[in-house]
Amino acid sequence: MYYFGLINEYLKNYIKSRLTYRADFWVEVVSDLLFQATNFIFILVIFMHTDSLGGWNQNEVVFVYGFFMVPFGIFSCFVNLWGFSERYITKGEMDRVLTRPAHNLFQILLENIDPPSLFGSLIGLVIMGISGANLGLPFEWWTIPALIVLSLSAVAIYTGIYTTLTSLSFYSDAPTGILPLMYNIQTYGRYPVTIYNRAIQVLLTWVIPFAFVGVYPAALFLQRDEMKGMALLTPAVGAVFLAIGLLAWNYGVKRYKGAGS
Amino acid sequence: MNAIQVQDLRKTFKVQKNREGLKGAFADLFKREFTEVTAVKDISFTIPQGEICGYIGENGAGKSTTIKMLTGILVPTSGSLSVGGYVPYLEREKFVRNIGVVFGQRSQLWWDIGVIESFQLLRKVYRVSEQDFKKRLDELVERLELQELLNRPVRKLSLGQRMRCELVAALLHNPSILFLDEPTIGLDIVVKSEIRQFLKDMNREHGTTILLTTHDLQDIEALCSRVIMLDDGRIIYDGGLEDLKQRWGTGREVLFQFGNPTKLEQLEHWTTGMPVVWSAENELGAKVWIPLDLNVSDVLGRVVGQADITDIKIIETNTDDIVRSIYQSGSAEKPDEMAAALKDEREALHV
Repeated sequence: MYYFGLINEYLKNYIKSRLTYRADFWVEVVSDLLFQATNFIFILVIFMHTDSLGGWNQNEVVFVYGFFMVPFGIFSCFVNLWGFSERYITKGEMDRVLTRPAHNLFQILLENIDPPSLFGSLIGLVIMGISGANLGLPFEWWTIPALIVLSLSAVAIYTGIYTTLTSLSFYSDAPTGILPLMYNIQTYGRYPVTIYNRAIQVLLTWVIPFAFVGVYPAALFLQRDEMKGMALLTPAVGAVFLAIGLLAWNYGVKRYKGAGS
Repeated sequence: MNAIQVQDLRKTFKVQKNREGLKGAFADLFKREFTEVTAVKDISFTIPQGEICGYIGENGAGKSTTIKMLTGILVPTSGSLSVGGYVPYLEREKFVRNIGVVFGQRSQLWWDIGVIESFQLLRKVYRVSEQDFKKRLDELVERLELQELLNRPVRKLSLGQRMRCELVAALLHNPSILFLDEPTIGLDIVVKSEIRQFLKDMNREHGTTILLTTHDLQDIEALCSRVIMLDDGRIIYDGGLEDLKQRWGTGREVLFQFGNPTKLEQLEHWTTGMPVVWSAENELGAKVWIPLDLNVSDVLGRVVGQADITDIKIIETNTDDIVRSIYQSGSAEKPDEMAAALKDEREALHV
């Protein structure tokens, strides 16, 4: 309850400070969407040359992409750790965070909240709706609850992986190389994993499970029975990776060295 | 009851060694070498509730590291500590609700929103009830005269204004222990003395325990009944400021202004048999150094009757001098030797 109250307060302050920079807000929304649009166009271009990708047709791949955008938007809004190493470790703002009575990771996430990213989730829902209708997918009683559970599980997977990697900042001075690499790998998850070779499939399923933020959960709605088991596994994978992330983080905080003076 | 209890506290950092030159940089790429730096070396002290204690030392002496351990930011390498009944790094989130922290060089407030909005946010973070918050805020705002600043964004405040807001932010939840890391750094004299007075009142009215680090010894003189002096990670002095002055002060100086030119030899002649040192300032002025065990009035008595004096000024050894010489020697334990050094320095100046 306390933490929900805080989310509310921080959002209010975000809006207050952002209202002074309105243009900035819209520029961010538009550039986010343009970024997604280029990826989307890439998919369309592929299907101008072929009718199926590893046994998936255009509407199915587009549907997977739509699903991928939903948890990614939520994650980008609430878990924005890009500048962590520089802002909190190098400049020492972690000191301030640690002297306040709320969990430190939670405070950091709230301080870097980025609501424009949520537009991506909305667009994702629209894409799912359109391609789902094209495919004639049935709308069941469980569709909405499953969408919520699977999206949140996918957000948990992202959060787990990125907090684990960001917590390396507590040990090394500048682990700048890993995050962009991870960012590239995660885009693999929005295509059917079956198109990759075996090693990459295993990597994307069990090591850095980005297949669980896109194709596996989407398969449940696409009635792809071969991946149904994987789809149902998503919440478990989310729980495991989130737990790893939080443990790594809490352990890292104990190693925090502070900055300069 | 003790507000702060520290026993054999130690903090060691691993610092990366950078080898010299391009070749060294390549070597570092494959095999890192580390050196261990001990910032705080087994220090012990206790601070009773309601005390204002100054924590001083040169840059890099380990002050900030100690404060960071006491506030739960850093985990000590060894030793035990208890602050307000908690072990800071173990139950951090519960513990910090009882303390207030001000880092002079860092802001606690949100840059883009109004001051009052920052306070509201802190109220939520610290779970202060609306009623308590209002009462406390009114009191603090009135005391520090912040009425007109409340709706301005923090980035538009001057340093002095911001510092006063920082104090309010650290005190909204009515902490029983307040940590101040260089609270007056970069402030003008008016704001400095305002803040000192405020802290003094806080301590008197609410019994708040205050531990502050500073480089401005006037802060210490105005506020602290006790100082802990740190050098190279060790405590070299812990006690009253007056004691320090007495142990270290070597004497006083008296400045004379004469109505007509007075020769130095003449002055020396009047005070024969006294271990005093005269020096000329200019034709009409002279200075005499009087050791502690000699009464100033005895010396004055000899001079006043005979010379035509227009003005007399008595100068006590000032704390800055004392502390500077302690820093230079790195120890407060050998006052005799140091006193001699101080005296030498003084005489050197006079010759």
